[in-house]
Amino acid sequence: MSRFLFPRWSNAFLPLVILLGAIAPLYVGLFVAYGFSPKTLEAGYMPTQPVPYSHAVHAGKLGMDCRYCHTSVEKASFAAVPATQTCMNCHTQIHRESPKLEKVRSSYETGMPIEWVKVHKLADYAYFNHSAHVVRGVGCVECHGRIDQMTVVYRVAPLSMGWCLECHRNPTDRIRPPSMVTQMAWDQNKEMTQAQRVELQNLNNIHPNDNCSTCHR
Amino acid sequence: MPRIFIFVGLILLLCLLLPPAIIARVRSTPNSNLPIHIIQDMAFQSKYKTQAVNPMFADGNTMRPPVTNAVARGETYLDAHLYDGVIDGQWANVLPSQIKMDFATLRRGQERFNIYCSVCHGISGGGNGIVNQRAMELVANTNGPVNGTVWVQAKNLVHDELVTVQPMGQVFNTITYGIRNMAGYGSQVPTEDRWAIAAYVKALQRSQIAQPSDVPAGTKVADHISPSPATTAVHNVASKGATIPASNSLTNPATSMLEGKL
Ligand code: HEC
Ligand code: HEC
Ligand code: HEC
Ligand code: HEC
Ligand code: HEC
Ligand code: HEC
Repeated sequence: MSRFLFPRWSNAFLPLVILLGAIAPLYVGLFVAYGFSPKTLEAGYMPTQPVPYSHAVHAGKLGMDCRYCHTSVEKASFAAVPATQTCMNCHTQIHRESPKLEKVRSSYETGMPIEWVKVHKLADYAYFNHSAHVVRGVGCVECHGRIDQMTVVYRVAPLSMGWCLECHRNPTDRIRPPSMVTQMAWDQNKEMTQAQRVELQNLNNIHPNDNCSTCHR
Repeated sequence: MPRIFIFVGLILLLCLLLPPAIIARVRSTPNSNLPIHIIQDMAFQSKYKTQAVNPMFADGNTMRPPVTNAVARGETYLDAHLYDGVIDGQWANVLPSQIKMDFATLRRGQERFNIYCSVCHGISGGGNGIVNQRAMELVANTNGPVNGTVWVQAKNLVHDELVTVQPMGQVFNTITYGIRNMAGYGSQVPTEDRWAIAAYVKALQRSQIAQPSDVPAGTKVADHISPSPATTAVHNVASKGATIPASNSLTNPATSMLEGKL
């Protein structure tokens, strides 16, 4: 049986193989770092909702304040999604017969809640509290992005532990006067100088914790 | 070297570009297949959280309404003044004893008014909020009202004499239970805040008939507050005409002028 010999031209592959071998770990490393990051796997979630409700219309064009609907956001850990009654404050009259509001009307008549799909879902072992942030002047926009421009809500933030800590360790540039929390277009980094932001932080004595027990209780 | 090797090699190299392209796409566009939680640990436990769906109850809701006829502590609703705005069968003209009339209450009322009422009644109470404007447009549509929209002009709270003569208790009652074409806000706004709004509505009305002599001699209206840099910054924006409701302008004439005047 004759021995198999690589043809001479295969020598040209040798540097290529070495090059690939050198690049491969880098490639795999970057693939894992970017591909498996919560920013890829968790942020950007945009489920289809049962009713084509648009924040861009209500919070953007009509200028409604977030708290008109998410009433508990300043008082409770939970920012409740509004009851059907809230929609019917206006929609008993406005777009009264719109097919898009069919489910809202039937929910109102039967008392069965509308099954909105939850967009933000923190891991159950982590504790989060809206009022602790909103009352202290962390704007909705810091965590939820420009909701007032979204036709369908999607998740802007990865909601990973690293993301929480990034702000808890350095909140200065991400806090605003508490009266401005629902102003989505307002940007403290444009409207206030660095010195003013530091003063605001000292004035309100804002020092978020990064102890494990703050969020894992 | 056979051509085929070069082709295959190039194609393989191109394939290596695919994962980065997919990652870039997933990262840049919202997507309904996410989120993918790789390490589950105890991230999603089989428990029912606030507002979750629950197959055990007929209405599918985890949060249970109180049992019929149950009365929670502090919710007897026997105090007609506090809960209905009525004293001895007459509209009350003062705040109930549980709520103090001070600058803080009016400020709170202003903020809450801007959240819940201004969409229809407008920031200044003139009755022309954005929702009201839009609803009037929908009704006035040339091909007939869009989707059967009907709309009654939201009341001008500061100039309509039928409203300005109303005592505070009556305004409170309107907010709580609604009136004719306006829905009630009793379920959305807590009792204290509804009184604060009622007081602020009276303040807004008063501000429309204010005279220079109403201002204590020797004071300028703006003297009440010395703004911190942060609030000054807020004012700068407000004066540039950005869309910031008056809740944030600490020197809103209505509240400053009426501090302690009701
Ligand atoms: C007219 C009522 C209304 C107003 C005003 C409103 N929202 Fe919503 N919001 C809803 C409803 C209904 C949902 C659930 C359906 C959905 O996700 O689109 C929701 C969902 C959300 C969610 C996603 C919740 C989840 O499932 O994780 C966020 C975040 C949110 N709103 C933020 C805001 C912010 C910020 C504002 C103010 C700029 C605002 N909303 C104003 C009614 C409202
Ligand atoms: C303060 C009044 C108000 C409230 C509260 C409100 N809406 Fe609306 N909504 C409007 C107005 C005004 C429009 C019309 C906007 C336009 O045509 O520009 C509208 C339009 C809509 C439309 C589009 C209808 C169509 O046929 O084009 C949907 C869907 C809708 N709203 C859903 C909801 C839901 C769901 C809620 C409750 C979470 C809600 N709205 C609460 C005022 C309101
Ligand atoms: C510090 C970041 C942060 C800020 C600021 C913030 N949110 Fe959230 N929001 C979250 C997180 C995290 C969740 C997911 C909570 C969970 O799953 O338990 C969430 C969930 C929600 C939900 C879904 C219901 C719920 O509570 O799970 C709504 C609605 C919402 N936010 C509205 C708002 C509004 C309106 C504001 C501004 C007034 C706001 N949020 C400010 C981080 C934030
Ligand atoms: C944009 C900045 C920001 C982000 C993002 C953020 N936080 Fe906070 N957090 C704050 C600030 C500011 C406070 C208030 C600190 C204070 O009161 O001194 C706070 C307070 C808290 C508190 C209350 C602490 C206490 O002492 O009671 C908890 C719990 C908390 N954060 C959890 C979280 C979790 C969980 C996340 C991630 C899902 C998160 N936060 C993301 C800024 C942030
Ligand atoms: C500001 C809030 C916050 C603080 C402080 C915090 N964590 Fe977390 N942690 C989170 C959140 C949110 C998650 C969920 C992340 C996710 O779902 O990807 C988490 C997840 C974890 C996990 C599980 C990771 C996994 O994917 O299984 C561990 C372990 C953990 N944290 C340990 C700690 C320890 C140890 C500390 C103290 C040094 C700490 N955490 C402090 C918010 C926090
Ligand atoms: C969805 C739009 C809308 C909102 C939001 C709204 N109103 Fe009204 N309001 C109306 C309309 C429409 C009328 C006129 C009703 C009629 O004459 O049938 C009215 C009438 C009134 C009146 C006059 C009642 C009378 O006796 O004639 C008062 C006072 C009033 N509103 C106060 C408020 C206050 C305070 C708020 C905030 C908590 C508020 N409204 C929020 C639409 C609204």
